[in-house]
Amino acid sequence: MTALALALGAVLAALVVVFVARPFLREPAPVSDRLDEQGAVDRLRLELLEERDRALSALKELEFDHRTGKVTDDDYREQVGPMRRRAAETLRALEPRAEPRAAQVGSGR
Amino acid sequence: MKRSPARLVIALSVAAVLAVFILYTAIAGNATTQLSPSALRGATGHVALIGMVVGKPTGDSHSVAGMRFRLKDVSGTSSARVLVDYHGSVPDLFKPTAHVVLSGRLQNGVFVADNGSLVTKCPSKYAPANSKKT
Amino acid sequence: MAALGRVALLLSFGLVAYALVAGSFAAYTRRRRLALSAQNALLAAFGTTLVAAGVLLSALARHDFSFVYVAAHTSRSLPLGYTLSAFWGGQEGSLLLWLVILTGYAALAVWLNRRSRELIAWVVPVLGGVALFFAFMLCFVSSPFGKAVAPADGAGMVASLQNPYMLAHPPMLYLGYVGLTIPFAFAMGALLSGRTDERWIVATRRWTLAAWTFLGVGQLLGAHWAYVEIGWGGYYAWDPVENAALMPWLAATAFLHSVMIQEKRGMLKVWNMVLVALAFNLSILGTFLTRSGVVNSIHSFSQSPIGGWFLSFIVGCVVFSVVIIYLRLPLLRARTKLESLVSREATFLYNNLLLVALALTILWGVMYPLLTQAVTGETRSVSKPYYDFFLHSFGLPLLLLMGIGPLVAWRRASLRALGKTFIIPAVAAVVTGVALIAVGLGSSTPGLLAYTFSAFVFASIVLEFTRGTLATGSLWRLVGKNRRRYGGYVVHASVLLLAIGIAGSSAYQTIRERGLKVGQSMEVAGYTLTYRSLENTQHSNSQSTSATVDVTRGRTHVATLHPGKSFFPVEQDFGNDVSIYHDPRNLGDVFTIADQFDKNGTLFLKVLVKPLVNLVWAAGVLFVFGSLVALWPDAVEQRRLAQRYEGAAAART
Repeated sequence: MTALALALGAVLAALVVVFVARPFLREPAPVSDRLDEQGAVDRLRLELLEERDRALSALKELEFDHRTGKVTDDDYREQVGPMRRRAAETLRALEPRAEPRAAQVGSGR
Repeated sequence: MKRSPARLVIALSVAAVLAVFILYTAIAGNATTQLSPSALRGATGHVALIGMVVGKPTGDSHSVAGMRFRLKDVSGTSSARVLVDYHGSVPDLFKPTAHVVLSGRLQNGVFVADNGSLVTKCPSKYAPANSKKT
Repeated sequence: MAALGRVALLLSFGLVAYALVAGSFAAYTRRRRLALSAQNALLAAFGTTLVAAGVLLSALARHDFSFVYVAAHTSRSLPLGYTLSAFWGGQEGSLLLWLVILTGYAALAVWLNRRSRELIAWVVPVLGGVALFFAFMLCFVSSPFGKAVAPADGAGMVASLQNPYMLAHPPMLYLGYVGLTIPFAFAMGALLSGRTDERWIVATRRWTLAAWTFLGVGQLLGAHWAYVEIGWGGYYAWDPVENAALMPWLAATAFLHSVMIQEKRGMLKVWNMVLVALAFNLSILGTFLTRSGVVNSIHSFSQSPIGGWFLSFIVGCVVFSVVIIYLRLPLLRARTKLESLVSREATFLYNNLLLVALALTILWGVMYPLLTQAVTGETRSVSKPYYDFFLHSFGLPLLLLMGIGPLVAWRRASLRALGKTFIIPAVAAVVTGVALIAVGLGSSTPGLLAYTFSAFVFASIVLEFTRGTLATGSLWRLVGKNRRRYGGYVVHASVLLLAIGIAGSSAYQTIRERGLKVGQSMEVAGYTLTYRSLENTQHSNSQSTSATVDVTRGRTHVATLHPGKSFFPVEQDFGNDVSIYHDPRNLGDVFTIADQFDKNGTLFLKVLVKPLVNLVWAAGVLFVFGSLVALWPDAVEQRRLAQRYEGAAAART
């Protein structure tokens, strides 16, 4: 029984070693072994995307809350303008031509 | 830009919580001391007694006279024994060598337990096994 | 075959050690192939751990008593289901279950997120590190594969564990406990990789919700088991083992709420890191408390050797979390501020503070005996009054907040708007309160408050659904477009049921004990119970003695109950067989316990009448339903998120 157990164990060990070594076996001489690095530009872009999504969803929620009566007409009028502007800002900041305007976007009013 | 009130809120809340807490422990302070039979000698006041049952219990816990049994320390070599006077429900696991907890007072050398406060423990097995009042 | 189990566990140990060491090195030096190799090691560890688990399961099924573990926890006459459940009945087996679930979750989480290579590169070593502890314990301290000369029969299973709820309760709890490791690993991974985006939250949102649900259901199953099997008439005793699961659950509840704020407003980044670390560390502490016997209370007095190891591990994890969060503090600076103390963000913040305060006071209560022993040499402990006080102080405001939160707008709510939205729920609350006092239920202040607040919350939830349906045109569309919010409301409703059930069955219960001879009756809260006869029955592995008791309400006979006791000869163990009548009229129970059968024929019967207690269990069902709704994948949202994260990568020139 123990002989069988140890044999199975050896097989298991062999399988495991192969699996762990697989990335090296498949690419013995790769073009690049660099783990993708998120540069400063990427990081900023991701933040801008998240800002955009946040601004858009906040606007949607304001509309919904207004429709369901949680936000009064007065409050809605007061908030919707700045919110729309903010959403527009985040969309502009993502345009491919423009430099990411970090300073402006970071104001988070 | 205005300073965020968030920090103020957190600080005040933490203070409020601590205040509630301190108030409680100062006024009610319901901590009970846990003692084993060897430490029980001379103890005054309401305590929790932890021990192992030795010998056969006598009497009926549901009768006026109550049930009596002896406890010794759960671990260690102390020869201290205490006689317990108990009324109330007796859990199923109660028997000689069971580990038990009771609350009560030491009166004239006998530990008079609170009615129904007898709880048995399940030594080293996975599940709690006890019966006690809510 | 035990040798195979040992080898498999040693392989697991080696693999997770590799995942930790090679993974950290690879992430730090940015080596792609090495990172992938470490990832593979973590995946392979699941395979090897599964093999070890298989060996143990097969030994159990075959009644192989040469395995010390099998001999200690099962016997030949034990039904198969319980025999298999002995897998997690002992310390070694439950550690193995932890590792199986952890490696399984780790494999799945890493696999699903394999494209976020930078994040995963750091998540892998964190998961490897946690797994390493358990693998180490299993290989070198507490192995399930110890062998000895096989006895003729095993020691059997403790009677109280032979119950269907015990088949589900531990695995559920573990699926919850272990599940909290995943968001922790992703959070630490995000910090270690220096990322500032919300990807880790998006990736783990459903994990957290699922783990939290499992933990909640696991606790309810445990409570139900205690109720019907241990049978003292209650379902929660503030025992350290019970608190061990409650504390991480409370922290996870706080985390679930505050992550929403981070997603919507970009605030509370540091707080979220602290919360996820707290939830994880409390879950390890929970495992430690349940398994090591270090805190004297219901569980055991004997101290297990694993206590010291666990404590070191917890300290290590706490130090690690604190250091990493501290070092990465600059990255976590929030851009937005809390605008108003009257806003949904603020109510979430209050909710968080109350939840964490409750978790910490419970922690204090659990640790108190250890602390007093260490500091003064004398052990002091706290009990029910302590916990009840804080449950009321923090729990009741939490209940009310559940109703207030949804009614308040984001950013800032004007008091006028609040006035409008609060009117109906407030009226509902006041009316309920007055009605309850009129009916005579004013006797318990916490109970009354619980009911009144519940009315408020219930009204606010109904209003949310009504207003929402009117605005979108259909309930289906409403929920479909906003699964998290409305699933969340359903979960809130389940918490409501829980609160009402708890209030009814504790604040308004009646308890009586009487010695009865055959033919005699007793009266409790409008029910009459009559002792009719005594029976002795033989079962497959037990003998039981039970009393037949008739229950009438007024003149109508409503039930025949059979409270009694069972004796299990193999284990030399007694079991308590309570008998319960579920009264549909008040959703409550008439709970009977046969305390003692006297030699002269007297039955000492204890009866508890617990109104509304069945709401506690109903809450569990609604809880699962609400969580499923909140968890349900949303195709539109998935696409948007995929675009966001792939889009960022694609834009790279």
